[in-house]
Amino acid sequence: MVELLLLSRLQFAITVAFHFLFVPLTLGLALLVAGMETTYYKNKDETWRRMADFWGRVFKINFAIGLVTGLAMTFQFGTNWGAYAEFMGDVFGPPLAVEALLAFFLEGTFFGAWIFLDRSRQKLKAFSMWMVALGTNISSLWIITANGFMQNPVGYEMAADGSKVLMTDFFALLTNSYVWYMLVHTLLSAYLLTAFLIMGICAYHFLKRNNNEVFKKSFSIAVTIALATAVMLPVLGHGYAQYVAELQPAKGAAMDAIWETGSSVPMYLIQVPDSSTGSNSVQLLGIPGLASFLYTGSFSGTITGLNQLPQAELPPVGMVFWSFRLMTILGSLFIIEALLGLYLQKSGKLYTSDKYLKLLMWSIPLPYIAITAGWIVAEVGRQPWLVYGLLKTANGISSVPTSDVLLSVVLISAFYLILMVFEIYLIKKTVINATGVE
Amino acid sequence: MFDFLTHDMLAVIWFFLWCVIWGVYFIVDSFSLGAGLLAPFIATDKVQRIQIQRSVGPFWGGNEVWLILAAGGTFAAFPLVFSKMFTFLYLPMMLLLIGLVARGISVEYLHKEDNPQIQKVLTWGWFAGSLLISLVLGVASANFFKGLEIASGGVYKGTLLGLFGLYALIGGVLFVLMSVTSGALWINVKTEGAIAAKAGDLAKKSTPIVFVLVLVYLAYSFVGIEGFTTNYSATPALYLLPVFAVVAAVLAVFFAKKDKGFPAFCSNLLALLFVVQSGLASIYPYMLKSSVSLEHGIDIFEAASSHMTLSIMLGGALVFVPIVIIYQLWVYTLFKEKIKETEQVNY
Repeated sequence: MVELLLLSRLQFAITVAFHFLFVPLTLGLALLVAGMETTYYKNKDETWRRMADFWGRVFKINFAIGLVTGLAMTFQFGTNWGAYAEFMGDVFGPPLAVEALLAFFLEGTFFGAWIFLDRSRQKLKAFSMWMVALGTNISSLWIITANGFMQNPVGYEMAADGSKVLMTDFFALLTNSYVWYMLVHTLLSAYLLTAFLIMGICAYHFLKRNNNEVFKKSFSIAVTIALATAVMLPVLGHGYAQYVAELQPAKGAAMDAIWETGSSVPMYLIQVPDSSTGSNSVQLLGIPGLASFLYTGSFSGTITGLNQLPQAELPPVGMVFWSFRLMTILGSLFIIEALLGLYLQKSGKLYTSDKYLKLLMWSIPLPYIAITAGWIVAEVGRQPWLVYGLLKTANGISSVPTSDVLLSVVLISAFYLILMVFEIYLIKKTVINATGVE
Repeated sequence: MFDFLTHDMLAVIWFFLWCVIWGVYFIVDSFSLGAGLLAPFIATDKVQRIQIQRSVGPFWGGNEVWLILAAGGTFAAFPLVFSKMFTFLYLPMMLLLIGLVARGISVEYLHKEDNPQIQKVLTWGWFAGSLLISLVLGVASANFFKGLEIASGGVYKGTLLGLFGLYALIGGVLFVLMSVTSGALWINVKTEGAIAAKAGDLAKKSTPIVFVLVLVYLAYSFVGIEGFTTNYSATPALYLLPVFAVVAAVLAVFFAKKDKGFPAFCSNLLALLFVVQSGLASIYPYMLKSSVSLEHGIDIFEAASSHMTLSIMLGGALVFVPIVIIYQLWVYTLFKEKIKETEQVNY
């Protein structure tokens, strides 16, 4: 049973992490490419057509793999999380079905149209891309609505026999405050990732002294988005942290490894939590009251420590803490890089600042890491609950033979690895090869 | 919403919608599956391969979403069935998943790579994915009609090998061949030149085989499958479904022979649709029929979601399904031109 639970979680983690490698770029790039297509339609400027072509090629490769790996998520709610599906179906099924109906159909139908429409039908081509962008962004609303219920159950009642939840208020699912915090946070980080990917690719070409208009224009759009999103994320993230700390005290306390209840809690710049002793083995450079401020909005606010919370309901503290730290450190780096980029571009030194350009190239993976870390905070931080306060993760799995799940974990991992290699090969080739751009 | 409908009535309506959505998925994906099954064999050069690919390229993605809707709709309207069907059929579902991913990636990446070696791998990936999908769907649906080995207390006794009985194998082969026919006729309708003629000839040969298999499959269903005729005896009008299936299969043979590609294509799709509906009509009120004993099956009333969920979903479906159908049909009209051999490929 323990092995089955571990394997089921492992498989879900692999498939969802892999799927989500492709989702953020899809969300951001769809909007940008749509904008490029429309601009070209309006001004007939070849630079914009080349931009739409170049980033469109990147979009196609990325979108295709995101689309097909998304199927795995729907399937696994039944194959591996059958008990969860039965418990949650009444509430969780509708957002998924509506997502298919409102979002996936738009994406799937108009992605094909956009690819195969040629430039003689530019208006339709641009329209199709807008539909794809609309579909992908609507999709995030519905999946986060579904996830929001797992984090903060609302608009439901328990069935008389306690076997499942029943929906009582669909509108409440949609207006769940968790959903809107998370939606904004997720979309902003997706746009940030897109901006950094574009900046990194442009940097590669600037380093090759390939300073053509396509990359120059793309860079200036991307750096603006990067700065705006990088600044907005922590500003809004602050409110979000405060909200989470109220909603799920254990997750909140784990994010900063606060073990003991207290007021005016400092935040330590250097800190190593140790779950076995229920304390920090290292804590240095404390900023007085900062943790209290971040969690409660007041420097003297009281935070409930992990040691004072029900011990059976704590998440793995180390994993949540380090993921949260990593995300915030990367978030600060993004602001610095974006500011620097804007300054260098305005002062005209950008194309010769090789060190900065190299930094940008190597920064392409960082938003991916930050997003995955953020996801770990949200989902691992909710453990041991699958549906917060209602269903434990251990009670959500399907009773299938362990050997079957082992087999599928191996099969899927091998298969995804091949896909990954192939995808990187294609993206690399597309991105390096700037023919048609010059 | 829909307060004038009782919970049972909503459950019945949703069962009906469930049959419709699965039916739509089966037919709309059949021709992209068929194109994939045929691609490595009938295209003699790159030009022809690209013609095949372009005949389905703009449509397959939108069509596949019907499967996601079918799965999502099952989850929302009948969570218990969703959970059990995916859990009981764990390995077949994993195979289906891998088939879907392989097909999707192959067909999307086929035109992004000029290396002939990789193109070959992708063409075969497209074929293998399509074969896996149509085979699993054929075998799985036959098992749905026959009943799964659900013992008392909802315990599943079935094995992977046990799913491949004679009836299921006929179902599997029938689905594969119907997809091949569907793909051949689609290529015949959508392209011009040698490849269109070759596909038309292939359909002339495959439609009679499909017709025979439809007869065998339906005959087996009515004679050899326990409990299949119960609903038919109670409501004889249902006999129209298998009759339509046979008539459509005959028409497909007839039109294919006369080189009328589009009517033949439609007839073949209808034959597929009515074969599936003939089976689904037999299992009602069960969604997961038990081959051990009827009372162990899971019926729609037991599996259905709450009144509220069913009515919200019904409202959503009534508004948005027609919208989806309209814009999908519109996209078909955007690509109504036949794909010529000489046409420049620029994507």
